[in-house]
Amino acid sequence: MRFSRSAATAAVLVLGAAALSGCSTGGSAADSGELVFITDKTWDFDSFSKESKKDIDIALKTSAYADQEAFQAFVKQSFRTNKSPGLFTWHTGGQLEELVAEDLVAPTTDIWTEAVENGDVAESVRDLYTVDGEQYCTPISVDDWVMYYDKRTFEEYGLTAPTTWDELMAVSDTLVDNGVTPFWNAGGNPWAFVWFQILAAGTDLDLYTGLTTGDVKFTDPEVVEVMNIWLDMKEKGYFTDPGSKVAAETQMKDQEVAMIPFGTWYASTLTTVGLESGTDWGVFPIPNVNPEQETTPVAIETAPACTAENSPQKEVGLEYAEWWMSSEAQTAWSEQEGNLPYNPNAEASTEEFQAIATEFADPSYEFYLRWYEAAPAPILTASLDQFTGFMTNPGDPTPYLEGIQQVADEYWAGN
Amino acid sequence: MISRILRYVVLGALGILWLLPIYLLLANASKLTSEYSGSELWSPGNLPALLSNIGEVFSTTDVPSGLGVTFLYATIAPFIAVILGAGVGFAVIVLKVKRGFFWFFVIFCGTVFPLQIMVIPLFAAYSQVGLFDTFVGMTFVYAVVCTPFSAFVMRNFFAGIAETVFEAAVVDGASAWRIFTRIYLPMSRSALVVVFILQATWVWNDLLLALVLTQSAATRPVMPLLAALQSTEGGGSAYTVVLTAALIVSIPTALLFMFTQRVFQRGLSLGQY
Amino acid sequence: MSRRSSTNYQRAAWGFLAPGVAAVVLVLHLPVVYTVYLSFTDFNGLGDPDFVGLDNYVRMFRDPAVLTSIVNTLLWVVGTLVVPVGLGLVVAYLAFGLPGGAWLRVPFLVPYALSGVAVGVVFSFVLQNGGALSQALEWLHLPGSELRWLQDAPLNTFAMIIASAWQGVGVNALLFTVGLQSIPKEPLEAAKVDGAVGWRLFRHMIWPLLRPSTTIVVGLSIVNSLKTFDIVQSMTQGGPNRVSETLGVTMYRNTFLNSEYGLGAAVALFLTVITLAASIIYLRRQLAIGDPVKKAVRQ
Repeated sequence: MRFSRSAATAAVLVLGAAALSGCSTGGSAADSGELVFITDKTWDFDSFSKESKKDIDIALKTSAYADQEAFQAFVKQSFRTNKSPGLFTWHTGGQLEELVAEDLVAPTTDIWTEAVENGDVAESVRDLYTVDGEQYCTPISVDDWVMYYDKRTFEEYGLTAPTTWDELMAVSDTLVDNGVTPFWNAGGNPWAFVWFQILAAGTDLDLYTGLTTGDVKFTDPEVVEVMNIWLDMKEKGYFTDPGSKVAAETQMKDQEVAMIPFGTWYASTLTTVGLESGTDWGVFPIPNVNPEQETTPVAIETAPACTAENSPQKEVGLEYAEWWMSSEAQTAWSEQEGNLPYNPNAEASTEEFQAIATEFADPSYEFYLRWYEAAPAPILTASLDQFTGFMTNPGDPTPYLEGIQQVADEYWAGN
Repeated sequence: MISRILRYVVLGALGILWLLPIYLLLANASKLTSEYSGSELWSPGNLPALLSNIGEVFSTTDVPSGLGVTFLYATIAPFIAVILGAGVGFAVIVLKVKRGFFWFFVIFCGTVFPLQIMVIPLFAAYSQVGLFDTFVGMTFVYAVVCTPFSAFVMRNFFAGIAETVFEAAVVDGASAWRIFTRIYLPMSRSALVVVFILQATWVWNDLLLALVLTQSAATRPVMPLLAALQSTEGGGSAYTVVLTAALIVSIPTALLFMFTQRVFQRGLSLGQY
Repeated sequence: MSRRSSTNYQRAAWGFLAPGVAAVVLVLHLPVVYTVYLSFTDFNGLGDPDFVGLDNYVRMFRDPAVLTSIVNTLLWVVGTLVVPVGLGLVVAYLAFGLPGGAWLRVPFLVPYALSGVAVGVVFSFVLQNGGALSQALEWLHLPGSELRWLQDAPLNTFAMIIASAWQGVGVNALLFTVGLQSIPKEPLEAAKVDGAVGWRLFRHMIWPLLRPSTTIVVGLSIVNSLKTFDIVQSMTQGGPNRVSETLGVTMYRNTFLNSEYGLGAAVALFLTVITLAASIIYLRRQLAIGDPVKKAVRQ
């Protein structure tokens, strides 16, 4: 019986190790009065959790998933299990529609109706959370895209924040003459879309929207024209090297680049390199490329917090989501993250953002969803690839656009 | 003698070349974010900045909290894998189990499939059987993922041991288990150590399985916590603090390699058995 | 004699074999079965997969970038065999038996010890446009500082192979060192007495005796290079415009970026079939020769 004894010993060994390790098994969170919150964002939810604990006695038990793609696959899979989260971050646009189509997220229509009545949130934001007449999820933040500029550099060359495209180009020429690169840009996922978005929406917002709905082809002459503007700017030396991996904020700190287009969440990142709002950097609305356009489009992105329909923590998740829209929560969030609160009753934490909030309240601005959420996934992926190719080897835009259109044709044929 | 000096020179020069990127990491981790610049990567940092960054890592990030559990994963799982792998090698080579190549290949196939595509079914299965977000579940999956490599190395190592060793033990009437634990395992000390340290390092540095199969602070190892410091859309830690954290979590594995080197120092003559 | 005594241990052998086989089949093979199923379906990760037959396989080969991806993957296989494997052997051989040799191996092992985040930072420091490598070349007045290491194909694939060699040489050196240690001393001494030194000693004595280690290093190198993913994803994401994509990246892109799980599964299986074929061809030959039983039988 040599075999059985040896096998038994081996089994004991393995089980022993397992039992030993079992001692430190973590308990589940669901019963401890904490809301399980999973996110692909790196924001400081722990200190925010302290606010909610004070206010509504719910604390967040946050797990951050660094890798956005793995995070999304994980969330999708979790709906089939009893681990579906009480609260999780997601993306609006096609990604939200996908979940709604399968009845996976809890509707928040009642919460929204009340919040809009209270004036806690704008109608235009509600549209982003509406699928087939019902609302789902609530916003953690709504970030408007602005142009960050280096006040030190602008001062040095006697420049002021431009209000028209021509002024912006004139500023850029001065910067180029003085050896400063005007604009930051980067290839790859996610940021390759930024300048296409600015130029396309700034030329014709309907054109931009048409591309995301399949009504306009990427090979249409208007789109080629947009790409040629981009090419022209690139040839004039307006852009940083897309092959550099030095972060935009570091390049601005070193005064190598003067302007960076990003959402209002970027303020906290600028702080990490020691640049101060108001003294070192300011923001201005990105002007219309085409002055004939009646309104000035402003890209927005919004981070939704959603609750899974079948989550064991659905109730507490929805309660938290409701609180997140309140002016108390929004003020606390804005103070902590330094960005722009979407609740008009909450106040932005910096003068710079208070000013831009007032500016954007003017009806001459029109808000649109940024490319990353607006474009369907396969078209987005293809466009990021082709835009990166275009930025790396600038030239005739036609082959790049044809590459995207090929994927788009396939996509719209199937949907 | 000349050849010996030449060996020192070649190895030394290559070694310095190999350490240059490490210098870059250290130099830039020793800068405050306000001092760090993309065009002066080679410029040395300063000690106060390094200390300040280390302080930041310990005071503002979650990274240190994951070290304990990671240490447990990285010691228990490779240990199990080494034993399982050695068992397979022993069965195939020494005991000559029937269709040994086939069974070995079945195990080897475990390395063939890309892990990225496996995590989704693994998560589904783990949440079904209640292993999701548990210490046992993580230890188990790490041990199994490490097993094919372990089996491969141990199989080939055992293949190099003369058959007379086994035959002599059989004549002495030793059981298979005894031959395994008293003769074969001690003889393969350096191979066992190699498997252990390489797999411990792999487990320590794993991000993907940790990301998908754990959730609570008690089970989450250090790599997802480290990766979560990097931000794409605001938040996150200052760049050089992330860099410092990335270096701090690499210290244990670097030390592991250094202190196990003496195992490989002296040759092991199999003739002595 | 040896055969008979071994057969008596067949049952015991199963006791040693079974735990490993069971664990590997359960954890590492079952997900493959599921992936095979997915590859015949249209599935976005939600709801239920729809059976579509061979559609995904047809679509996979219609994607013009897949050909680039296959070529790049093969470049990785060849490159990895030449650089990290070759250099690993050189380091192991030079350091072996040298007083203090163990310490000389350490610099090659440190990169493997680094966390993924640190490795990603190193490579972007070194290889980005105007990065550390370009800065150093410029400082030394050497040509090449203008090269776009990560942006132009096929240079970017070569640059990344070197970068992965930086990480992988130490491990290979360690595995070769174990192999060198297990070489019996007597035949070597005898050969030395016969006047075999340097290259001849290596070529005719050491290299054949290293076979068990070489098989491990080459075998793993083939498998791992076919699966190349991490470095490419963190350095170029397979770009610009998919020129540096490998099959591992193609699979990831389809599955995770586009949520086309079926298509991703098809690429994964294609990759798996290639890897299996390469492994069987290589290992059958190598392991059969290394197998003492077969050796005895042949003799």
